Amino acid sequence: MAAADALLTGLPVSTLRGATPLLFVLLGECLTQRAGRINLGVEGQMLVGAAAGYGVTALSGSPALGLAAGAAAGALLSTVFAVLTVAVDADPFASGLAVWMLGFGVSAFAGTALVGLRIDGWMPWAGGITPTIALALALVPVCGFGLLHTRTGLRWRAVGESPEHARAAGVTPWHYIVAGVLVGGVLSGLGGAALSVDYTRTWAEGMTAGRGLVAVGLVIVARWNPWLALPAALLFGLAEALSLRLQAADSAVSAHLLHTLPYLASLGVFAITCARLRRRPGGGAPAALGALLAR
Amino acid sequence: MAPVELRLNGLCKRFRDVVAVHDASLVIRGGEVLALLGENGAGKSTLMRLAYGMVRPDAGHIEIDARRVRFDAPRDAVAAGIGMVFQQFSLIDTLSVRENLALAWPRAPWWLGRDARRPGALDAHLARLVPGVDPRARTGDLAVGVRQQIEIAKVLLREARCVILDEPTAVLTPAEAGALHARVRALARDGFAVVLITHKTADVRACADRVAVMRAGRVVGEAPAADAADARIVEWMVGVAPAPAAARPARAADTPVRLSVRGLCAGPVRDVALDVHAGEIVAVAGVSGSGQVALAEALTGLRPLDAGQVTLDGQALRAPGRPARPVAALAAIPADPRRTAIAPSRSLAVNLALKRLAVQPWRVRRAALEEQARAPIARFDVRPPDPRRPAGTLSGGNLQKLVIARELQGDPTAVVACYPTMGLDVVATAQVRDAMLTLAANGCAVLWFGEDLDDLLAHAHRIVVMFDGRLVADLDAHTATPQQVGVWMSGHAIAPDPLRQAA
Repeated sequence: MAAADALLTGLPVSTLRGATPLLFVLLGECLTQRAGRINLGVEGQMLVGAAAGYGVTALSGSPALGLAAGAAAGALLSTVFAVLTVAVDADPFASGLAVWMLGFGVSAFAGTALVGLRIDGWMPWAGGITPTIALALALVPVCGFGLLHTRTGLRWRAVGESPEHARAAGVTPWHYIVAGVLVGGVLSGLGGAALSVDYTRTWAEGMTAGRGLVAVGLVIVARWNPWLALPAALLFGLAEALSLRLQAADSAVSAHLLHTLPYLASLGVFAITCARLRRRPGGGAPAALGALLAR
Repeated sequence: MAPVELRLNGLCKRFRDVVAVHDASLVIRGGEVLALLGENGAGKSTLMRLAYGMVRPDAGHIEIDARRVRFDAPRDAVAAGIGMVFQQFSLIDTLSVRENLALAWPRAPWWLGRDARRPGALDAHLARLVPGVDPRARTGDLAVGVRQQIEIAKVLLREARCVILDEPTAVLTPAEAGALHARVRALARDGFAVVLITHKTADVRACADRVAVMRAGRVVGEAPAADAADARIVEWMVGVAPAPAAARPARAADTPVRLSVRGLCAGPVRDVALDVHAGEIVAVAGVSGSGQVALAEALTGLRPLDAGQVTLDGQALRAPGRPARPVAALAAIPADPRRTAIAPSRSLAVNLALKRLAVQPWRVRRAALEEQARAPIARFDVRPPDPRRPAGTLSGGNLQKLVIARELQGDPTAVVACYPTMGLDVVATAQVRDAMLTLAANGCAVLWFGEDLDDLLAHAHRIVVMFDGRLVADLDAHTATPQQVGVWMSGHAIAPDPLRQAA
């Protein structure tokens, strides 16, 4: 009974805390893909966001400034992806990998100066909610309504479905594609900063541990819908909270295996969603993404 | 609304070494339907793309109401009151009807609400122009005729005064085409200027006030529709008086069955049974999307069978799970040959040899392939006749001729031809048609999937009609009328399904 209590007490808040960094990235990648680009570089953008956020928080003592710096760093790195895929028309997958590697290298290099720095982060509000969690939750309706209920969102989706047809309707596609990539950069940088500044309150090389790539996969689970990004991220957060608690409770299973739990859970949901999408083709995927894969 | 007057003055446009439009002048007036006719490649689409700002002229200029204008992009033309409805619709399939309209509406508010339901003006506009359509329907799920109406509604939503329709009747059933003709007349009555790009003289008779004909990039003739006889229009289009079409070959009464289809199901095709006899031409008609392309794909091996079987001269040809190898005895001319019938980056010689790869020596000599390619290239007048040229660089018509040249090598006993004359000019069409008539006269079984009913009725012995994946009619082409076939094509002649009624 006591073991079960230890496992379950405060689980909702732990879930939210674990889900928050991913939710930022997931929303950003969702908006990027809705404009017709898949950005695998989000992993690297998260890393530079985490490093910049941690560094600025440590130097200034202000977590808010840290988050802003993380967002700016993510946006800056995503311009590389935007230039590669829009101006040069390079392959989006290769470009994404390049941005990932670049972000990994830059954050590892800058991060050596961060080792040993300490930050205090935010004091949680009542119930364990931090400003980061509140910001992430508030962004869900902003993205959801923005994408599905406004003229800007309609044009955004039209570009993702068919840049040619959108152009015929008087929309300039590259504006929206670049905006999509940059918004993805801002949000993945925020996600990285939320991870280092608020969630773990440490910096470690490669600390995002594949969360960015998980987000790319979970966009499919969320059917490219910002509203559904919330449950998808919560699922990951829940699995992560559970794995940490099982480790703390001296579970018989190896800690290394328990670490894989959130990824296994994401993989499972991903496989189920994809199997269902096979039966009902499309399922909300922006058509221009399919064109990227087919060429 | 003040009637618009759009003047195209001496427009020229070259694409690299091809002159698409040369010194073309045309006046388009409000309240009038202008039919712009011409062969494929005559420049009529390019001329209208110039007027719509999609292409910029090398020389010449455009005037609207006697004011000189310059279009750098379609946006400028739209702002000047010009709208164009393309053959490939510019609707986004995955968006709802209402969202597609909202996307094109210059006065759309920023806050649209879920599924763009807030601006009620869109629903009102839609109800007026396309009555009966559900504004929430996914556009891709609607029939072609309805999507065309939505496309026109979209152009009018942008306050166009001049509406250009690019080959609008090519995709419609006779009944839908009739409705379109009425809509076009109504637009002209309301003061709109309408340009109808077409190659069918039937469209001229149904709704045009004035006719302009283009050939080789020039406007070669212009007349009031009432004064332009069909033969004169065709003479303008082709440059010579049209030769009378060859009659269909007479057919001996009791020839054996060559191509036999039993219980065929494949994708949208459901339970099709069909026999084609030696020397017989059977035409397959249907509205686009009725399953005829899928049937042709199943017969030619491009699509696996779910059930049923196909035999050729008693030999099994296709069956579920059976590998689809090319068979010399079957000439397969698929729809969309650029995508399905050639290797675009390979030479004409290699493409002509594709069906005979198994009989090539282990070490293939390029010179030998090129030598073998000369005869079929000459026979079907593929231009340019260079066996080394990559097949993907050929124009649509020449590409089709290349595929036909390959498929008719090796004396086939049956032909499955899916839209074989689509995109061909009059001369090439006649070549392809004569080739098929000759094959039938020599005892070949010909299954011809076509789009031009008059053409099919004139040359086939029998005409079968597909609707919703099934064969719904099997008519004698000597006695059937286009109206009769059209009724079957639209599915109205089908008795209600007793099972569905019971449910």
